[in-house]
Amino acid sequence: MIDKQEIMDIALLSKLHIDETEIDKLTDEMMNIIKFADTINGYDGEVQEFDNINNLSNVFRDDEVKDSYEQSEILKNVDGGENGYFPVKKKV
Amino acid sequence: MKNSTIKKLHDMLLGGEISCVDLTKKYIDEINKNNNRLNAYVLTTEDEALKQAQKVDEKLKKGEKIGLLEGIPMTLKDNISTKGIETTCCSKILTGYKPIYDAYVWEKLKEQGAVMLGKTNMDEFAMGSSCETSYYGGANNPHNTSYVSGGSSGGVASAVAGNIAAYGLGSDTGGSIRQPASFCGIVGLKPTYGAVSRYGLIAYASSLDQIGPITSSVEDAAIVFDAISSKDYYDSTCSGACETTADKLQNDIKDVKIGIPKEYYEGLREDVKSALDNAIEEYRKLGAEIVEFELPILKYALPVYYILACAEASSNLGRYDSIRYGYRTESYNGIHDMMCKTRSEGFGKEVKRRILLGTYVLSSGYYDAYYKKAQNMRGAIVKAFKDAFTKCDVILAPTVPMTAFKKGFTSQNAVETYQTDICTVPVNIAGLPGVSIPCGVDSNGLPIGMQIIGNSFCEAKILNVAYQFEQATDFFKNTEMGVEF
Repeated sequence: MIDKQEIMDIALLSKLHIDETEIDKLTDEMMNIIKFADTINGYDGEVQEFDNINNLSNVFRDDEVKDSYEQSEILKNVDGGENGYFPVKKKV
Repeated sequence: MKNSTIKKLHDMLLGGEISCVDLTKKYIDEINKNNNRLNAYVLTTEDEALKQAQKVDEKLKKGEKIGLLEGIPMTLKDNISTKGIETTCCSKILTGYKPIYDAYVWEKLKEQGAVMLGKTNMDEFAMGSSCETSYYGGANNPHNTSYVSGGSSGGVASAVAGNIAAYGLGSDTGGSIRQPASFCGIVGLKPTYGAVSRYGLIAYASSLDQIGPITSSVEDAAIVFDAISSKDYYDSTCSGACETTADKLQNDIKDVKIGIPKEYYEGLREDVKSALDNAIEEYRKLGAEIVEFELPILKYALPVYYILACAEASSNLGRYDSIRYGYRTESYNGIHDMMCKTRSEGFGKEVKRRILLGTYVLSSGYYDAYYKKAQNMRGAIVKAFKDAFTKCDVILAPTVPMTAFKKGFTSQNAVETYQTDICTVPVNIAGLPGVSIPCGVDSNGLPIGMQIIGNSFCEAKILNVAYQFEQATDFFKNTEMGVEF
C-alpha cells in the first residue's frame, strides 16, 4: 500500500509540489483510491490483449505539404515572445 | 420537450417572426439576467454572436436559403478550442490561453452559420461529476439552484436547461455529457469513439474522450450530431463511419430488442428504479421486445475506467509546463522549480489527485498490476458488450443511480463520488454510443434520466429508440427561466 515517501516520489515524477501540511490527508485519500483500484484483482475471467477500440491500424495519408501556423500567431500566448522564442527568466 | 427547439427557432427565422439579431439579443439578455444564478457561462462572446446574426439576417433579407443550424444561438464547453477566444478548461493553469485554431466541431458548426453565445463552465479538465472542481465555481441546476447541474459538462447542461442556449456541445470521457443531461432533464448524446473528431478538444483521456450534443430534444441531438460527425484529416481515430440520424427518428420500433442487463439495475435509488421500470413498460407498449440478461464484468468497469483515464491524464497533462501558454508562477529558482510551482498553483485538487494516481499506475513496478491489467480488462469489457449485442439491438439502463447532488456532496469523499459514475463509464470503456433522455422526476422536482446504449456507429438506432419514447411520454419539465416562445 502506498506510503508518504512513495507519494513524494510520485509527485516528483509528476512535477507537483506537495505541501507538508497536505501530505497526511493526501496519503489517506490516495490509499483509499488505490484500494478502490485494487478491486480489479477480484476479476479472474478471461482477458483479451487490448490495443485500441475500433481495431485501427496504421492510418495512412498522403504526405502533402500544407500551410502551418505563423510563428507570430503561436507566440501571441506569451505576449509575442522575444526574438521569436518563448522567454523564461535568465537564471533558468 | 420545450418549444424552442432548433426546428422551431429555424422556422421562426424563416417565417420572419423574429430576426436573427433580435433572437440573439434575447438570449444575451437572458444570459445577463440568469447567469449569476446559474454560473453556466464562464465567458460570453456577444460581439461575435451579433456579427454572425447580422450575416444571417442579410441572407434572409436577400431571400437566400439558410441551413437548419444557421443563426441558432448555442454554446461550447470550455475545453473545445475556439480561435482567438479564451479556452481554459476552467483551470487556473490555462488562464489567458487563446487557441490559434478552431476545433473541428466548431469549424463545422461555424461553416453552418452557428451563433456562439459563449463558453460554458465545466469541471477542471473535465475531471469531476458535479462541475464543482471548476476554477470558476460550479454551474447550478436550473430546476433548483441548491443542486449541482452535474459534470463535467455542467455549464452546457445548465445553459440548455435554463434556456440561455438553444443547444451546446460537451465532451464525455466517463459520462460527462449524459450525467449532466440527466441531472438537468434534457438530452445528451455521447457518440461512438471515432464518430466525431477530437481535433481541438483539449485532452483528458484520449482513448475515451468524445464530443457530443446536449440539447432539449432527441431531434435536436440528431440534427447536431449529423452536423459534426464526419471524417477528419486531423484525427486519425475519427473514421466518420456514421449514417445520418435525423431522417431515421420516425422508424417504427416494433420488434426492436431492448436489452436489460441486470447489473445496471442494482443499487439504484428506489424512485430511479421505478422510473426505469415504467420506461420498460412503455417500451413494451410501443411493441419492443424486452430481453433480460447478465453482464457480470460491469462491476469492474469503474476501477478499470479510473486506472486508464488517470493514466492517460497524467501523460496528457504533462504538457502544462508554463513555457508556451497559460499561467506561470511569479518567482522560481530553476526550471524544475518553475514547472513544479506552476503546476501546483495552477491545477486544482482533483486534477492533482488524478495526475498522481495516473503516474502511480504507470510507474515501474505497478504498470503490470494496474495499467496493463486494466487495459486487458478493457478488451474483455468490449467483448462482453459485443456478445450482448448478439442478444439485443440496444441496451436500456439508468444514466445515474440517483438524481442531482446537493452542492458540496462531491468534495467529501473522492471514491464515493467516483462510484456515482457506475452506469456511465462502461459506454466509454467499450467505445459505444449512448444517449440520455428524461424519464421521470423525483419528489424534489429533480429530473431522472435513462440511457439508450447501442453498438458502435449505431447512433441512428439509439436516437430512433429514444425519440419514440420521447414522443410517447411527457417527462420534459421546463425551468421557467431564460428564453421562451
